[in-house]
Amino acid sequence: MNKGKIFKLAKGFRGRAKNCIRIARERVEKALQYSYRDRRTKKRDMRSLWIQRINAGTRIHGVNYGNFMHGLMKENIQLNRKVLSELSMHEPHSFKSLVDISRSAFPGNKNVVPAPQKKGLQILV
Amino acid sequence: MSVLSLAASSSSSFMLSSSATCSSSPKPPFSSSSKHPIKTPFVGFSVAPPQKLWIPSTTDLSFNNGGSPRRSFEVFSSKTKDFVRVPLDQRWMFEDYEVDGPDIWNNTWYPKAADHVNTDKPWFIVDATDKILGRMASTIAIYIRGKNLATYTPSVDMGAFVIVVNAEKVAVSGKKRNQKLYRRHSGRPGGMTVETFDQLQQRIPERIIEHAVRGMLPKGRLGRALFNHLKVYKGPDHPHEAQMPVELPIKDKRIQKQK
Repeated sequence: MNKGKIFKLAKGFRGRAKNCIRIARERVEKALQYSYRDRRTKKRDMRSLWIQRINAGTRIHGVNYGNFMHGLMKENIQLNRKVLSELSMHEPHSFKSLVDISRSAFPGNKNVVPAPQKKGLQILV
Repeated sequence: MSVLSLAASSSSSFMLSSSATCSSSPKPPFSSSSKHPIKTPFVGFSVAPPQKLWIPSTTDLSFNNGGSPRRSFEVFSSKTKDFVRVPLDQRWMFEDYEVDGPDIWNNTWYPKAADHVNTDKPWFIVDATDKILGRMASTIAIYIRGKNLATYTPSVDMGAFVIVVNAEKVAVSGKKRNQKLYRRHSGRPGGMTVETFDQLQQRIPERIIEHAVRGMLPKGRLGRALFNHLKVYKGPDHPHEAQMPVELPIKDKRIQKQK
């Protein structure tokens, strides 16, 4: 019956939500809504985790994530973030060589021309 | 993975034909299994100790890779160098895509219990003398949470332990010494207590740094567990010599109080 299915989905819920049909039905509906939503957010969360791991991995070598990815894009290296994060964890030497490639392609923006300073009251002097 | 290198299985003849998975001869085989963070045991698989040349593992080089899981040459990974074949009598246990080992490139790595044992975590020490409070606390929180490691996982405690000594000498800039307020409330009406930075430093100097770092750690069960990895002491001594703490590398350039 429907109740049987609901209770099957309500396994592990807290308190009466696993035992009593009125409460379990509500909680199961909510759980299914969350799982629908989270199948979509899981993709975002995973990518965010990869980016955090890559960031940590590149900062060990003195480069931050933004500059690293910019350098890779310039060299047309199309490795995706999932693979890059796994490389940073499991293949540190290969990852270091990638960081070096990126650094040579884009050494950072320390040499950028500074924005023109406002003159202010200095003009009057 | 090195755990798998158990006693020689009956298919040892098959093993000899496999490609090189060498145990490093200097150390006794399989004793290094306790040191390797990735301890994902591969079910049902036993690798016979091969009698081949020892090829030095590239991960033996001293490479400070920020806590990435150190893998020995014995580990399998289907797509990189080590290529261990499942023995014939165990092939029935594995699907086609698994015969060469677990897939590590298409699945995001999640740490196993053996990857974050507290006894194997590094310890760091900071001397708080004349360091700006917030900047130091920020770096400490990053190391405690593990965000400096490539193996960072938000749901797992992968961070290190941090010791802070000379807590009573921590500095703040500007007029904060007399103006920064620490408030606490007992829960009852009229139960708010307000103290200045100076007064709290006279009373309980450790609490200042603890308060700062606790505010920078995540709030929740894991955050509370992480907070226990911070050890703050008043004087220059600490009881953790046995953990051999290393100096905490702080990259912030403005952390020293300007005299």
